[in-house]
Amino acid sequence: MRRTLKAGLSLFRIRAIEGLQYRLAALSGATVSTFWALIEAVILVVFFKYGNNTAGSINGLNLSQGVSYIWLGELMVMLQIPGIDGDLMVKITSGDIGIELCRPLDLYWHWFSRSAAGKVNAFIIRGGMVIACGSALTLFGADHIGFGLPHSPVNFGLFLISVFSAFLFSTAYSMFVTAIRVGVAWGDGPMYLITVAGTVLSGGYLPLQLWPDSMQTFLRIQPFASYLDTPARLYIGSVTLKNGLLMLLLQVAWIAAFVFFGRMIMKHKLKAVVVQGG
Amino acid sequence: MFKDLKLYCKYIKMHILSGLEYKGWWMMCIQTIFIVITDPIAAVLMFSRFGGVGVWTMERILLIYSLAVTSFGLAESFCRGFDYFPWKMIQSGDFDRLLLRPRSLFIQVAGSYFHIHRLPRVLTGICVIIWAVYRLHIPFSILNLTILLLALIGGFLTYTGVFVMTSGIAFFTVKGLDWIYIFTNASYNVTRCPIDYLPKILWGVFTFFMPMFVISYYPAAAICGWGEPLITGFLALPAGIAFLGFSLIIWRIGVRHYKSTGS
Repeated sequence: MRRTLKAGLSLFRIRAIEGLQYRLAALSGATVSTFWALIEAVILVVFFKYGNNTAGSINGLNLSQGVSYIWLGELMVMLQIPGIDGDLMVKITSGDIGIELCRPLDLYWHWFSRSAAGKVNAFIIRGGMVIACGSALTLFGADHIGFGLPHSPVNFGLFLISVFSAFLFSTAYSMFVTAIRVGVAWGDGPMYLITVAGTVLSGGYLPLQLWPDSMQTFLRIQPFASYLDTPARLYIGSVTLKNGLLMLLLQVAWIAAFVFFGRMIMKHKLKAVVVQGG
Repeated sequence: MFKDLKLYCKYIKMHILSGLEYKGWWMMCIQTIFIVITDPIAAVLMFSRFGGVGVWTMERILLIYSLAVTSFGLAESFCRGFDYFPWKMIQSGDFDRLLLRPRSLFIQVAGSYFHIHRLPRVLTGICVIIWAVYRLHIPFSILNLTILLLALIGGFLTYTGVFVMTSGIAFFTVKGLDWIYIFTNASYNVTRCPIDYLPKILWGVFTFFMPMFVISYYPAAAICGWGEPLITGFLALPAGIAFLGFSLIIWRIGVRHYKSTGS
């Protein structure tokens, strides 16, 4: 276990540094994310201001909070993008998984750290640029479509914690998907389906508060709120601190659940793994 | 010209047959349908939450949106080769082989990929167009159908133009082409915002640089009578041809500067 942890940390470092090299690609990606956030923000402003049944605040979300939510969405989506880590995917399809199994490491945690590292640099570089653009808009007067300040210092602290758990959650979830993929010859179709469903339910398409009222309870409990909705709600302060803490606990519970099931499925699949290629 | 077209049809047939060899090919279609359905979910939920925006009802917005999406789907289905080109052909050096063949480069690249699972986007798009036109009580007259058809052809040419332009630029940059996404998937999402409320700069970029509104909003306005001059509804085809022509110039320049990579 300890050896796995140490090896995992080194792997994490190697990949994170490696990823830092593609700065131009990150810049180009950040342009798209910023553009995307701007469109979403404009649409939200239009509907909030000129909609026929307009309201000041919907399920505890007002316009400026909604706009910040959208910017945060572009940041957090960096954690979600690749359902399965590209390198791991190649290992599964090319048969390198055989070599991976020979290493004296626990395969689950070994791949967990790899896939975590794959996410972290896109998150920091590309996400950082997007948030910088959003904040710049607020600084230079366009605050109706810019990224706003956190509700309070306490909220900001809780937000940072929940971003970290969102990071763990997204890794646990993509490991869950990877574990399913290990044994399946079905191709990528189903994997992609699960990933898209996760993004939709995380609030990445539309803040969850704006979904139909009858779905609100379900939306708060379902696992994918941990991706984006929980950190975003804490940041913009559209949830009381007590409920916020409960949401954090829920995040941790979902992480534990996905790690547990991911490990279980992987163990099961590895019993009858087919090594392809040579 | 005729020979090239025949070659293109052969390419497509080959790709369809090889695609059908996979057992799970229909799963990919379901996957695309799922994405096509979830794509406008934000717009639909916003309308159910806020009602319309002034005169802009959900049917109106969905008509404009589906015109743009269907055009994109057509280009994505039939000129997929250009979409993949920078990744699959330049970086691997496979482009050299195409240059040696005595056939049109354009056809060869366009036909180099075809995925049957891209077609559901077109089918659902057309269904939404028909649904929206029906809900808006617009008669399916010959004039209206002509406008819609011209809009789709123009849109197909426009989005093909985007792919061709990407490929042309890829000759110089090889990597880091994510920003083109603004003119593909992000562009048709702009239509979700009612055009009266859209910032002028966005309207300008997507009308005069890349004629996305010319192939979606103006034809829709022409058949529904939203107060735009009728003639603007017919501009889709010329605009599409012009944009594709512009992209082809960039592509030509790119081909001339091509230096082989890979082996």
